[in-house]
Amino acid sequence: MTAAPEHSDAEAGSTLTDSALKPRGIFDPDLLAACISCGFCLPVCPTYAQTKAEADSPRGRITLMRALDEGRLDVDDSTLQEQAGRCLGCRRCETVCPAGVKYGELLEQWRDHQWRGRHTPPVAAALRAGVRVTPALTAGGLVRGAARPTGAADPQRPHLMLGCLERSLFPKVSKAVLKFLPDADVPAGQGCCGALHAHNGGSVEAAEMAQRLGATMPGTIVSTSGGCAAYLAHQLGHERVKEISEFLLARWEADPGSMPSLRRLTVDGRPARVGLKDSCQLRNGLGVIQPPRALIAKVADYVELPSAGVCCGGAGTYSMLQPEMSKAVLDPTLVQAREADLDYLVALNVVCTRQLQAGVKRARLRVKVVHLVELLELALPD
Amino acid sequence: MIVSDSTSLPLPRGAGRPIDQQTLDDLRRIVGGQHVLTTDGDVEPYSRDATPLFRARPGVVVLPASTGEVSAVLRMASERGIPVTPRGAGSNLAAATIPEHGGIVLVLTRMTTIKEISPDELLAVVEAGVTTAELADSAAALGLLYAPDPGSRTVSTVAGNVAMCAGGLRGLKYGVTRNYVLGLEVVLPTGEVIRTGGRLWKDVAGYDLTRLLTGSEGTLGVITEVTVALLPMPAVARTGVAYFGSLADAGRAVAGVIHDGLVPATLEFLDNRCINAVEDFAKLGLDRDAGALLLFGDDGTAESVERSLSLMAATCERTGARGVTMAKDIAESEALLTARRCSLPALARLAPVTMLEDATVPRPRLAEMVDRIDAIAARHNVVVATFGHAGDGNLHPTIVFDPADGDVRHRAEAAFGEVFDTAIEMGGTITGEHGVGAAKRPYLQRRLGADQMALLRRLKAAFDPAGILNPGKLGS
Repeated sequence: MTAAPEHSDAEAGSTLTDSALKPRGIFDPDLLAACISCGFCLPVCPTYAQTKAEADSPRGRITLMRALDEGRLDVDDSTLQEQAGRCLGCRRCETVCPAGVKYGELLEQWRDHQWRGRHTPPVAAALRAGVRVTPALTAGGLVRGAARPTGAADPQRPHLMLGCLERSLFPKVSKAVLKFLPDADVPAGQGCCGALHAHNGGSVEAAEMAQRLGATMPGTIVSTSGGCAAYLAHQLGHERVKEISEFLLARWEADPGSMPSLRRLTVDGRPARVGLKDSCQLRNGLGVIQPPRALIAKVADYVELPSAGVCCGGAGTYSMLQPEMSKAVLDPTLVQAREADLDYLVALNVVCTRQLQAGVKRARLRVKVVHLVELLELALPD
Repeated sequence: MIVSDSTSLPLPRGAGRPIDQQTLDDLRRIVGGQHVLTTDGDVEPYSRDATPLFRARPGVVVLPASTGEVSAVLRMASERGIPVTPRGAGSNLAAATIPEHGGIVLVLTRMTTIKEISPDELLAVVEAGVTTAELADSAAALGLLYAPDPGSRTVSTVAGNVAMCAGGLRGLKYGVTRNYVLGLEVVLPTGEVIRTGGRLWKDVAGYDLTRLLTGSEGTLGVITEVTVALLPMPAVARTGVAYFGSLADAGRAVAGVIHDGLVPATLEFLDNRCINAVEDFAKLGLDRDAGALLLFGDDGTAESVERSLSLMAATCERTGARGVTMAKDIAESEALLTARRCSLPALARLAPVTMLEDATVPRPRLAEMVDRIDAIAARHNVVVATFGHAGDGNLHPTIVFDPADGDVRHRAEAAFGEVFDTAIEMGGTITGEHGVGAAKRPYLQRRLGADQMALLRRLKAAFDPAGILNPGKLGS
């Protein structure tokens, strides 16, 4: 094989080699070099499925990252700015990548660089600033009636982590968890885990937030949010940080006596039909797939939607940054939920719950969107 | 006019030039504004395909939705001398879709309709942008088999497979893409829409243009619709794995299998480096210490498959296999095949650049070729990992390197030059299934000779008088 001669310009039609330009150092060079552009990621990418355009695929975005890193495109380029926000960050591509490209980390590095100063989407900047204020988070949780902090962390007990948005938006979730984790404490002074910052251009600050939260809660941390659990596990270690479904299932399997008696849920006298939308970070980042399904199956008829493992389009700030694409990505699931005649649709992350609830309302479906522990709570004896 | 060398056809007059405003306006009128990409950032993702080291930015990217739109674009490009590089999913490994001379990259991924699958006629009709896996899955749902099985099947488009004459894992028993193309709808560079072949297994009216266009790498026409032959789905398919001390030993086992009179569906092999790269990704419990792995498999009736697999297992043991295991169910068989398809990208774990080749030799000389490749790699001091379709004599020696490592790239190119010469000397070819593209253009004349090269140019000129389609490649 012979490559065409190297040129120093990037005019139309000139054939360049990848080593022709000096990298700017925006990305970890090993991470960027891992992609060989085979395209195996294309068929699983939710945004590529919508447009069939290369820039909407993981491979196309990595080509854009390379162009940015090698100076062929400037950070002001409109496509770079658009695509940095257009990727859902669901990391489904990582699960099919034979080369083991760590796309999620590349995306973090891209947004760290791209979303600085005036290039930061206002929604991302506002959220990053908002969830940084721990006293406000605590107050929000108290006002809305989330699980009440129990004081300083007891290292011997598992700690329930209070999601910074979940406390205020879905306060019942943390309260329900305590019914299944009677031995857990709820350490006071919990801040945000940083996942939101890491995915929105602030990965350095995010890592510091994760470490601070880890110090507030020495020992095992249990999270009701797939996104928080995956990020925190990445920072503090998966052995310390567990998402609620994997924690409950492991505990109940190790000690069946610790499992409360749960009845089978019925709707109009027949077994309840329950579907699931995975949390992408949980499924693709942490590899937790079976536990939520196994728990649902304990109380209802579990129905696997064809798109169960595909992003719901909520994706952190995505539904606000990219409302049209966000809806388009969700639409197939709404159709499937209707066809499957679901009674409940389970989510594992606060952002997914919001996105699914909005979609269900828009499509006028009868299915009720709940968090996994809310479904399990329904199955507790009265 | 720009002439790239004394024997090549002239490049079109728009080669290497920016696209003028009038042309952009006309393109937008033809396919709609949002399907014409013009900014640097928008066209950059189309500057490369799955081939390492090749990259060139298009002047404009056009995504048509219909044959009529393709025709209008080509007619205009011919009139104005603008280069056009057709592209499917961009998964080819020969730099065949790199727009070396700029101009239009014509992307067919929006044409995704499966028009018909006919169990009665055992055929399917699909638009250009349908992926190979979508076609195969839709056929399988009706109990039918689309036999061609290229490694990139989940990504690659059917028309792309036809344009490159893609091979794959079932070549020995079932042949390759060309054996299943019954008919094509093709837009000529000058805009006329022709239909070659059709729905018939027997049809000898005129030259076999279907075969000529199959493997024409986007230099003669743009394929917009494909009619393919299907087969009844075999009742049973099974695979097994045998481990050997070396790739050459596995090659001798393959010769033994064919000597036994078997024509199995699958005979794939991987060397130790490939086994480890694939195992890192797929985690199937492969033997990481083995020198080589031979994946053998067959399909058919339960009895015939049973017989075929036990014969192959016995042959492997007789020729020195250090272990033979059978996949216990369909899922395990599929996992093995999927892992094999991932060999190339999995090798990317070893180093930043994976330079893959596709030399093919007559089957009985497989083991000899494997030894010769190892010797060539050692002489040029490069790391080579080899896998391939052993049953077809089709090897994929892959040199992995870090471009920061001095002159390694030149050593790799020199090594491959020798590999090609060796393959030709043994009665083989420079490419079995990946195609020539820009990547193997320097070696094409060695394989074809001057007279045949001249004929290719006359054919190219007959199809494409303005020389706009994928200029500089194949018959140009």
